[in-house]
Amino acid sequence: MTLVLDMLTTAAILYGVAAGLLIVFGVMKIINFAHGAFLTVGGYAALLVTHLGWNPWWSLPVAFAVGGACGAIVERLVMKPLYKRPLDAILATWGLAIVIGQCITLVFDRGVQFVQSPLTGAIDFLGISYSSYRLFVIPLSLAVVGLLGWMMNGSRLGLVTRAVIMNEDLARALGINTGMVRLATFSLGAGLAGLAGALITPLSSVDPNMGVPWLVNAFMIVMVSGVSLVSLGVACLVLGSAQVLVSTWANPILGGLTIVVLAAVILRVRPEGFARA
Amino acid sequence: MLVAPEVLPTYLVNTLIRAFLYAAVAITVDILWGFTGILTFGQSAFFGFGAYAAALVFTHAGFGPGLALIAFGVAIVGAMLLALLVGWFAFHPGASPLYGSVITLVLPIVVSQLLYSGGSFTGSSSGLSGFESFDLSLEAWFRIAGVFLIATTAGVWLFLRSDGGRILEAIRDNEQRCEYLGIDVSRVKILLMMACGAIASCAGFLFACVQMVVAPEYAGFAFGTELLMWVALGGRGTLIGPLIGTLLLDTSTSYLSGSLPFLWKLLSGLAFVVVIVALPQGLLPALASAIRRAWRRGAPASVAPTAEVELHSADPQPLAGLASAGRLALSVKDVHKRFGSLQVLRGIGFAVRPNELLSLIGPNGAGKTTLMRCIADGAERSSGTVRLNDHDIRHSSPAACVALGAGRKFQNANVFDSLTVAQSMRVARTRLKRPSLWRRERALALPTAALEVMRATGLDRQLHVASRDLSHGMKQALELAMVLALEPSVLLLDEPTAGLTKAERTLIGRILLDLTQSHTLCVLLVEHDLDFVHEISTRIIVLHQGQIVLDGSVEEVVNSDLVREIYAGAATPGAHG
Repeated sequence: MTLVLDMLTTAAILYGVAAGLLIVFGVMKIINFAHGAFLTVGGYAALLVTHLGWNPWWSLPVAFAVGGACGAIVERLVMKPLYKRPLDAILATWGLAIVIGQCITLVFDRGVQFVQSPLTGAIDFLGISYSSYRLFVIPLSLAVVGLLGWMMNGSRLGLVTRAVIMNEDLARALGINTGMVRLATFSLGAGLAGLAGALITPLSSVDPNMGVPWLVNAFMIVMVSGVSLVSLGVACLVLGSAQVLVSTWANPILGGLTIVVLAAVILRVRPEGFARA
Repeated sequence: MLVAPEVLPTYLVNTLIRAFLYAAVAITVDILWGFTGILTFGQSAFFGFGAYAAALVFTHAGFGPGLALIAFGVAIVGAMLLALLVGWFAFHPGASPLYGSVITLVLPIVVSQLLYSGGSFTGSSSGLSGFESFDLSLEAWFRIAGVFLIATTAGVWLFLRSDGGRILEAIRDNEQRCEYLGIDVSRVKILLMMACGAIASCAGFLFACVQMVVAPEYAGFAFGTELLMWVALGGRGTLIGPLIGTLLLDTSTSYLSGSLPFLWKLLSGLAFVVVIVALPQGLLPALASAIRRAWRRGAPASVAPTAEVELHSADPQPLAGLASAGRLALSVKDVHKRFGSLQVLRGIGFAVRPNELLSLIGPNGAGKTTLMRCIADGAERSSGTVRLNDHDIRHSSPAACVALGAGRKFQNANVFDSLTVAQSMRVARTRLKRPSLWRRERALALPTAALEVMRATGLDRQLHVASRDLSHGMKQALELAMVLALEPSVLLLDEPTAGLTKAERTLIGRILLDLTQSHTLCVLLVEHDLDFVHEISTRIIVLHQGQIVLDGSVEEVVNSDLVREIYAGAATPGAHG
């Protein structure tokens, strides 16, 4: 039973981390390697909230706002000339990740620090005792899915965004300000990364390189899932569960490799991944 | 080189040895990324592989000349096998460039994590150190590393400027065109990966021998991206740029990271972003072009001097590699093509003998181009069979279809932008005449048909013009000449004369007619210009809504009411409403 809950919560966390990357990849066809750095920014935003002595619940909206603001600045300054060069965009965002990581190191020092959790202790759930914070991640991720799903499929912004995804030139010809859509998307993606960073910090700790392993896993999951929030969910569940199983029954280092290797093999056998599976 | 180690301070000599080895790895990154267009994060894994091959053997089996040789063999052969595995994943036919990069990213992560989890065998996170190695002075190592770097650079330089090296640029420019010229792109990339892996592994082996310490970081993703940064800053696509970039950056890093630990990394990250965004060619080429501009201000840019190329006519080798010419050049049986629920081709069947010039006509959306695709690429059709020269194409790649005799010219001019006309033609001959991997040849032998097209359109006077600078019509002619250089027996032409003048069109029409009559060649032509079709065809097939509605002689078809109705849009035969 604990194992099942582990799988579900792992999938939920992965979903939170990968959602922002997927949004940016879907709309802009760009892999944002600074995603991990935005995640770190979110983690430090949460740390700041702890230092200021605010209620830990504040860390989530603060991290989202800080991440989003960073994303907006980066989009304007760096991303604009790179839309026609997607492979270069990977490199430029990776360079950005280094810059952001070093800025954080200069301000906060390179040591590992801890953040106060908004929910502590364990609760009894279906007869077993389980970390209440980890359980809380599941409804939160579901809320993110719901909100994103509504935004993409139920709102005018989503309609415009989907138009840009399908045919950007036509969308521009119809008078849609595609530049604004890109700005909003990139900013939203970065904000989600920040939120995810704040979300995972109570489970582990904060350090300037905390984003890197998450980035790689999220990247592979997005590759496998294609451009759909539903298939992203499937990918997170399947790969997250595999990771938990391997970590439990083999060893944690191999567990850390599970997502990466499995995703590479899935894509080799089935290039479209989980899309329309 | 000889006196340097005696006069330089020990710390600098030590740093330079490392920088020399790193630079050799950076050159392999440059071959893959700068010249071939494969963004790779994974060369560090090969470096780490070579280093651990030495360290593991020397730690666990001891040191000796024989053991060192074994370790070296393991480093080279193992790295090549690893590259083969990576290439099998990354470059399978149909893999996107992004997927290839994903795999090169996975590689260093997997390798370094395995090293971390190796326990006392690999030394886990602290790595291996204190093993015995060659008892050589620092000065000797300096010379060995220097010679290794010079030899690598010279070898790579020779290869890149040779005729074989042009294939890499052709792949970077236009992979699809390469496939349709019969070049097995996946195979070329895998072989290249293996060679680059071996060089990087060799550098790693030397590194372990000099430093007598290895750690998982040397095989990791961070080092892999650092290599990319050096190459990008120095100038991808040049040989000297990454070399100087690596030497300068690695040496300055080891000096400055002591005094300004975080700031130095911050600044180099910032420089990297700025270069990628603003100067994608890198710092050195940007600097060089600025100097060149200042040097001859106002003077017209002189054309780079290139070796003179002499055109020859080649001995014909029709159907090279095929056991026998078939009775039928092409036969298509019950071919269907579906995109989801959309039926684009339904039950297409016809046969063409050699010496026929068959035109496919029909309104837009009739499925003409789709049919061409299904003949030249075995993976395209949904069902049915296609036989070229009595060989079933099954699900073969375009390159394999070329070997069976297909030659396809695309609807839009599809050429190699950065190659000159002469280089493009040589790449087109790759399948029939293996280019040298270290030499540039002067003579360029081409089949008569290709030569005729070049002469008729004036391409033979523009041999040193880059393809991207040609006019639209000339690009069309160049592509046609490249396809003819394949000596195909089934020539698939999708509107070959669009964008050409009336005079050029007539000439090409005459050449095509001549080809079908005097050589064993059949032509399948898609054309909109009915006058042109009328002039040169021996037979016409009319396609409408994915079906053959008419198949007959020129007179039959041109005078039929059906064709007039279709082109006037009056009737939709064979369908309701």
